[in-house]
Parts: sequence; C-alpha cells; structure tokens
Amino acid sequence: MRNLFAFFRRFRVFLLFALLQVFSLTIYINYLSFPRNQYLTTASVLTGEFLKLENDLTKHFNLSKNNLALQKENIRLRNKLKMSLYKLEEGFIKVNDTIFQQQYTYIPATVINLTVSKRNNYFTLNIGRKQGVYRGLGVFSDKGVVGVIHNTSEHYSVVKSVLTKDINIDVTIEPIGLFGLLKWSGRDARRGSISGISNDLRIKKGSKVVTKGGSGIFPRGLAVGVVEKINPIEGEPLWDVVVKFSENFRTIQRVYVVKNLMIEEQKNIEENIPDDEEE
Amino acid sequence: MNAVTKHIIRFILLWLLQVLIFNQLEFGFGIHMMVYPLFIMLLPFDIGILSLLLFAFLLGFSIDIFSNTYGLHTSSLLMMAYFRPIIFNFFAPRDGYDPLKQASINDMGGSWFLFSYGNLLLIHHFWFFLIEIFRMNEFLLILQNTFFSVIISFILAVVLQTLMIKKVIPK
Repeated sequence: MRNLFAFFRRFRVFLLFALLQVFSLTIYINYLSFPRNQYLTTASVLTGEFLKLENDLTKHFNLSKNNLALQKENIRLRNKLKMSLYKLEEGFIKVNDTIFQQQYTYIPATVINLTVSKRNNYFTLNIGRKQGVYRGLGVFSDKGVVGVIHNTSEHYSVVKSVLTKDINIDVTIEPIGLFGLLKWSGRDARRGSISGISNDLRIKKGSKVVTKGGSGIFPRGLAVGVVEKINPIEGEPLWDVVVKFSENFRTIQRVYVVKNLMIEEQKNIEENIPDDEEE
Repeated sequence: MNAVTKHIIRFILLWLLQVLIFNQLEFGFGIHMMVYPLFIMLLPFDIGILSLLLFAFLLGFSIDIFSNTYGLHTSSLLMMAYFRPIIFNFFAPRDGYDPLKQASINDMGGSWFLFSYGNLLLIHHFWFFLIEIFRMNEFLLILQNTFFSVIISFILAVVLQTLMIKKVIPK
C-alpha cells in the first residue's frame, strides 16, 4: 500500500496530465461522433447569447451586399409568381390542388458564428428547438447548400457544414445525372470534391452540381457548385471531380433550414427493403 | 499592481482577443493565429507544474466552449504546459532563473524567447493540427499548417508584448 502511494506521489504530475488530456480528448472525439454534450458548445444559451451580441455588432459590415443578394432572390421568386406569368390557355380553373402537395417547408435563419479554416467547420444559427429545428434537417442559402443541423438547443443550433470531413451529401452532376457523394479535403474553403464517379463517362468542365435529394434531407436540384477540374485517380476506375462551391462560406449570413414533411414516410417504406443475405 | 491581478487580467484579455478577434480572422494557407499560449508562457518561473496544468486546462476549456472545438485547444494547451518546465530546463541560464523576472521577451531577451516560446508553440500547434486533422495521409497538410501558424503566432506574441507590457526600468 505504501508503495502504491509512493508511486502516485512520484508520478502525480504525469497522472494529472494524463487524466486531463484523456478528459479533453474524450470530449473532442465524442462530439465528433455524436453531440451528447450540449452545454459546452456555441449552441448553449450562455455562449449563444454572447455570439448573438457579437453578430449584432458585426452584421452591418456586409449589409449592402446581403441586401443585394436578397433582392436578386426576390426577383427570381417574383418571376415565378402567377401574376408575372402570361396565361396561354383560357378556361382552366384550379379548384383544389391534388397534384402538388407541400413536401418541403423552410425556416429562415441567420448565421451568428462560423469558421471556414478548420478541418471540421461548424456554423451556429440563431434558431433552435423553439422554431422547430431538430437534428438532421438540411441548411442552404440562396446560392447553395450549406450543411446539416448537427445539434440544437432551445434557441440556437449548430450546423455541420459542407466544410467537414464526413459530410457526404448525395449530389448529381446535372446534364448526365451521375450520382456521387460530396466530400471536402480541408484545404480550400471554395472547393470540394465528389467521390464515386466512374471514369468511363466524360464530364464537361462547368457542369452544374446539384443535390440529388435521395436521402430526403434536401429537395432535388438545390445548387451546390460547378465542376472545375477532373483528375484521374491512380489505380482506380474513378474520377476525382473538383467542385467549386457556388456559396462563399466566408461571407454567409442568411440561410434557410429545410424540413421534409414526408421524410417519415420515405424512411418507413425504405425500412422494408430486405437486407442482403450473407452466405 | 498585484502579481495575481496582473495574471487574471492577462487571462481575460488574451481570452477575449482569441475568441473575439483571432478566431474570426482567416488568412488561408491553414493559418490559425493563437495568442492564448502566451498566458501559460508568462506565468511565474517558480509556479508548480500541477497548478500550471490546471491553469492550462481552465484557459483551454474556456476557449473551446466559444469556438466549437470541444477539447481541441484544451488538449494542446495541456501538452504545452506539460512541456514548459522541460523546455525551460533545457534553455536555462547558467545560474538558474531569477524568480523576480518574467518569461517575457523584455526580461529574458530575444534569443531565449525565440528558442523557448518557439519550441513550445511548435509542440502546441503540431499537437493541435495532428488531433484536428487526424489522418496519416494528410501528414503534409499537418506540417504545412503547423509551420505557417507557428510563424504567425510567434510574431503576434512578440508584437503583443511590445505593445501591452510596459517595460519597468529599475532605478
């Protein structure tokens, strides 16, 4: 027993160091895999209020640019309104729309904190559970896809952005309809890559990349970016497709959270797909 | 000013600088500017390593909460605090450290500060990027980020000290 105490006394520095180190690394690794620890993030109330204050001070710096972007979006939406369309056929009366049913609803939000230079970048939004946000909802801006809700509190939420290691949003390259997963290499906040594109197909530079909408998080056809470069991967029959994001994440402020009203239905029916049997 | 209040004010000041300003700036090339290791560096020479570790934990944790990194800064600051006595022993002057002096560039001179703080920053930043990126096939990226960030953080520390810490000339 005395030997044990002597041991602890002798190595107390290293033991304390190891204890604290293990503690902090555990938090870090835990958070990366699943966000249980709600009190230590910018989604918690105290730090959220603090960041909101900071955002209130700095949001005016980009005001004119943001107004311009919102105005452009308004014009685009106004063009789709019925009053700006010319009626080609008289005599059709719409009674009750049974063809189109609302599938996606949108919640506006403001980004109050963000990083773009880390290996994994998280954004904080000013809306939370009170506004009906929960984990797994998609987030996009008027220019392109931003990320997926990772963690929420009463009034704030944290977005796992496109600029993270394992974001894996399913996207398609537009005119040919190839499917792939969006990845980010951690080097450049303006560029990502698509994996899983087989190299027997020709891809033109400048092709549009949009969301596929397969997992039901995003509606189909939201802009992600354009194809900038296509590199062969050595030893594999695949292309490494470099995508230039259409959104500049450094200056992002206004975003939308998208909620799929039919996701439960999709999940339920997909559960019935039989698993591959091992032999 | 009391020595303890001086350290508390320095703690708060460096924390605010890091969270409000340097976390928001971005230069590309993987540069992260970190000023808060300066607090651990400027603690007294005769401080016990146990309290050193606890201070490092406290500061790292309060920075982590405000930058969505969940323990990354804490871990690397602990690493730096653990290596501080070792590095200090290695670069010790011939007749030991004067407990009245500080580990600053004004008290100890440029070359001593370059070697000791430079090495500590190197340990801190290398550990930070190693844990953050955590992939062996991106080892070059880790080295590149560490290299550029250490240079910028070191220059920042020198500038901050010449700006903020008034040199007291003994009469």
